[in-house]
Parts: sequence; C-alpha cells; structure tokens
Amino acid sequence: MIPFQFITAFLMMAIGIYAFLYKRNLIKLILALNIIDSGIHLLLVSLGYRMELNEPPTAPIYTGYETLKSAMVGPLPQALVLTSIVIGVCVLALAMALTINAYRHYGTLDVRALRRLRG
Amino acid sequence: MNGEAILPYLIIIPLFGAFAMPIVSLAGKKAREAWAVIISALTLVVASAVFYHVWKTKEIIVYTLGAKTPFGQGVGFPIRIVWEVDLFGAIMVLTVAFVSLMAVLYSLGYMKHDTGLEKYYTLILILELGMLGIAITGDLFNFYVFLEIMSIASYALVAFRNDTWEGIEAGVKYMFVGSIAGSFILLGIALLYGQYGTLTMGYIAVKIAENPTVTAKVALALFIAGLLFKSGASPVHMWLADAHPAAPSSISAMLSGLVIKVGGIYAMARILFSIYSPMAHSIVLKAYLQPYINMSAIGWLIIIFASLTLIIGNAMAVIQTDMKRLLAYSSVGQIGYILLGLGIGLAAYGTQTGEVALAGAIYHTVNHAIMKALLFLVAGVVIHEVGTRNLNELSGLAKTMPKTTFAFLIGAAAIVGLPPLNGFASKWLIYESSAVFNPVLGAIAIIGTAFCTAAYVRVLYTFFGRPSERVANARDPETSMMLPMLLLVLAIVIMGLLPWQISDKVMIPTARMLEQFKFEYINALMSLAGGA
Repeated sequence: MIPFQFITAFLMMAIGIYAFLYKRNLIKLILALNIIDSGIHLLLVSLGYRMELNEPPTAPIYTGYETLKSAMVGPLPQALVLTSIVIGVCVLALAMALTINAYRHYGTLDVRALRRLRG
Repeated sequence: MNGEAILPYLIIIPLFGAFAMPIVSLAGKKAREAWAVIISALTLVVASAVFYHVWKTKEIIVYTLGAKTPFGQGVGFPIRIVWEVDLFGAIMVLTVAFVSLMAVLYSLGYMKHDTGLEKYYTLILILELGMLGIAITGDLFNFYVFLEIMSIASYALVAFRNDTWEGIEAGVKYMFVGSIAGSFILLGIALLYGQYGTLTMGYIAVKIAENPTVTAKVALALFIAGLLFKSGASPVHMWLADAHPAAPSSISAMLSGLVIKVGGIYAMARILFSIYSPMAHSIVLKAYLQPYINMSAIGWLIIIFASLTLIIGNAMAVIQTDMKRLLAYSSVGQIGYILLGLGIGLAAYGTQTGEVALAGAIYHTVNHAIMKALLFLVAGVVIHEVGTRNLNELSGLAKTMPKTTFAFLIGAAAIVGLPPLNGFASKWLIYESSAVFNPVLGAIAIIGTAFCTAAYVRVLYTFFGRPSERVANARDPETSMMLPMLLLVLAIVIMGLLPWQISDKVMIPTARMLEQFKFEYINALMSLAGGA
C-alpha cells in the first residue's frame, strides 16, 4: 500500500501544475510554483519517516539518544528540505519583485498582457 | 601543484568577492570596478590551474567538503558532499572563468551609465559562482543548489534594467520557465534519493547499475525534461529568444555563451554519462547483460529534439529584424548541434563514431561560448553607439565602426564554420559523425548551417551597405569595451589555427573520460573507500 503522505505529495504537485497551466494571474502562478515546491518538500520529508515497534519517530537530536525507545527520522531529508525552502523563498521574493514591476509597466497582473515581445 | 588544494578557491574567491562587493563599493566607483576585475581575474587563474592539473595528470580530482574522505566512520558508502572534476568539468570551468572575465571587463564601459552597479557586479559574480559550482560538483543536491544560485542570479540580471518593460517581461517569462524546470529536477533528485538513499553521483551510478527500477527511469525523464527546458531546446525555446535579447549585452553574452551550456548541456551530459552510465551495468554485474534502461533510445530521443532545435533555431534567425534576437535564435540553433553530438554520442555509445560526436559536442560547446560572447558584445557596442538594434536602421556601419565590424565578421565566419576559424573543426566533427551514423542527420545538420549562413550574411550585408544618417556619428568604442572583443577574436583565431591539435589533445580524451569505458568517474570516488 502506498503511504498516504506520498499520495498527498503527488496530489499537491498535481494541483500546482493544474494552477500553473490554467490560471492567468501572475500572483496565482507564483502560488502555483510554491504549491509544486511544497509537494516535493512533503515527498522528501516523508521519505525520512519510519515507524519502529509501532512507536512514532522522534526528531533527529543526538544528545541522549541512548535512552530513546523509538527510531529517529532521517536527518538528511530535513536538511535538504530546509535548503530547498530557502531557495524557494529567494525565488518567491524575486518573483514578487518582478510582479510589482510588471504591474507598474503594464497596469495589470494578467499574463496574457505580457506579450509585447514578438518575432 | 595539488589539484585538491586549489579546487575550493574556485568557489571561495567569487563568493567572497560577490558579497564583499557592496562594502568595497563604498570606497567609490574605481574601487568597485577594480574589485570586480581582480576577483574574476583571480578566478580565471585558479580555473586555469585546475584545468592544467586535470589535463596534465588525466586524473579526476575528488574533493570532500569538511573531511578527508567522503566515507563515514564504519560505513561502506559515501555520506559526505563531494566535488568531482573530470576533464569535461575542467574545460567548462576554464571557459566559464574566461568568458566571465571578458563580460566583467566589457561591463566597465558598457554599464557606465546605469545605476545600482554594486548589485550588478555582485550578481554577475554570483552567476559565475553558480556555473563554476555546477561544473565541479559530484553531489546531486549540491548540483541543484548551484543550479538555483545560477538561475536566480540570471533572472535578476535579465530584469536588471527594471525601468524598461522589455526586461521585466522577459524576466517574468524566464523566471516561470526556469522555476518549473528547477522543480522537475528537484523532483527527480527526490525520487532518486527515495529509491537509493544517497545523493553522491558516482555512488548512485553503482546503485542504479545494480538495481535499475522504474523510479530511476521516471527520474531520468524528469531530468531530461528539466534540462531541455534550461538549455533552450525546441519546442520550449521561446523564453530564450525573449530573455537573452532583453538582458544587458554583457549579460546576454554570459547567458547565451555559458548559462544554457553549463546549466543545460553539461548537466545533461553529466547525468546521462556519469549517473546513468551505459557501461556501469555490465561492469558492476561483471557480465554483459542487456541494460534495463535502453540508453540508445534515450540517445535517439535527444537526437530528435536536436534536429528540431537545429532547424527551427537557425530558420527563425533568418527572419529576425532585431540584431540581438537574431543572435539569440542562432544560439538555439547552435544548441541543436551540441545536442546532436551528445545524442549521437549516446546512441552510438562505444563506437568510434560516438566518441567523435561527443568530442565534437564538447568542442562546439567551448567554441560557441567564445563566438556567441563575441557576437553579443559586438551587438552591445552597436546599441551603445547607435542606440538601436533594428537591422533596417544599421546599414553602412562598416564605414564608421571598422574595428567592430571586423570583430563581427570574425565571429560570424567562425559560427558559420569557415575553415581557418575555430567553429570549423567542431562543426566538422559533428557533421562527420552524424553523416557516418545516419546520413539523414548529416543532411539536417548541413541544412541548419545553410540557414545559419543566410542569417549572418544578411547582417553583414547590412553592415557593409550604403551608410544611413543614423550611423554617421557612430565611432568605435572605448578601450575597455574594445579589449574583451579583441581578446575573444584572438581566442577564436588561435583556436582556429590549431584545430586538430586541440581535438586530439583535449577534446577526444575528454570524450573518452566522459564515456568512462574504464569506469573512471565512479572509481575515482569509490577507490577512496580503502582509506576510510
């Protein structure tokens, strides 16, 4: 059986791709990008999740781990997701800045208006 | 000289230079410009040292971040981030550092009238840093981080002149396409990590060879899709034709010359040949079996995209009236040649033809970086002096700007592939191998060149035509803009005089190392296991 986290992750990516293809507002497109990214982040984080002896895992903190009864989640996916979130924030900030500028020049947030470059 | 000792400075120097730039520029304009030139010149020195070391010893440099060996205590597989530089990586490092220095030198004169220049120089150094990182990394997630560093810097630079609608529109388009491509690549990396539990390229190659799964195939599809987006192959080349002309010309030179190659072609070659190595399967299992992933079909897929790109890019270049847009479409066409070489290298893997095609692709990557940088710098000079890039208004430029026209003549002749210049040798290798592999592909390559010739002859015809009043007051530009163009012309001519020497001494060994018949890329990493 496929774990429900994976299904949720791919569902989120699908929602993001749908929005990316069918929405026309620049801000909605930026949100779509972020939903796709969040889906991938959820997939990565849930890769590190593991159950042992029916105990839910704990955070990967190594001080005093001898006394732990349950497993720890994989630390590497969390590091990856943290890095990826930072990158996502950079893209988001830049995208918002560009959107503000686009609004100044075009007076609208509709991507269909951004069609002056041709040839 | 120890390759491992100097490798980190390739990242440290531009990183330090980039983030020290706002502080340095408090000391004034001169200090800022001197700092940018010094940092990129130092990077070029380090890059030359790395290239020389790898080329001389023919050994792959493996550098582990923060430890002596990538293997953990008592663990039989690599757990740390590694950088691996083989000859292809070293060649890309050298090209990136050289063209970036030219772009920085050119910016001194070209960007003089703009404001916010400390941000500009910071971004240009970060762009260089991202590309260098992609070329040297041996870790998939590290590769993604550098790819995004490079992409974010280039989105910002395309939209740098935010007082014009053109830059903003191109920047928005470029950013959406680039981000969705980046998401594809991240998903591919996540799938590979979930399946094999490692991110080190060399070790993933071993794992895939031992146990190829459907997940690995899906990840490969995602990588190819994302990287074709990033390299501007048809039918997704539209962002390139918008973004490259809209950027300032020094940035166009870097985008067209470097970004689409390092972020697209190089990364694709690395993933196809080093991670999904067609050879690894039979070496790991110590027996020849039919590979689970049919790499020659993947090769054909790339060939189909390449043929499409080659024809569409070059044909669209012919009908442009905007000079920089013409050059951008020509870049699309040339990416088609490089992809064709790469695809044949994969489809005809293990034969002489495949090796020659791959060598041609690598050679053309370097040549095109130099030629297209030169052409975009010339276009920038024309915009700077005349104030327009509409070809209909530029007739007769040869009279008033003789040196610039000469530089354009050299660049155009090289890109078309005239014999005494560097474009000839690399295109010849690609024609030769494609004609041997499949005559139809050879014919397509020649047709592409015919279109390419038509486009450039049209520009030259305009330049040598009857002078219009618009160009009457144009003059050759100042030294800081002339010097990089001169150096690029020199590079084209010198590389053109020694075509077969470069091909035999550098490009063929590079192709051989990339094909890794002896498992070089993986062995360089795994042989360190004994010392753990």
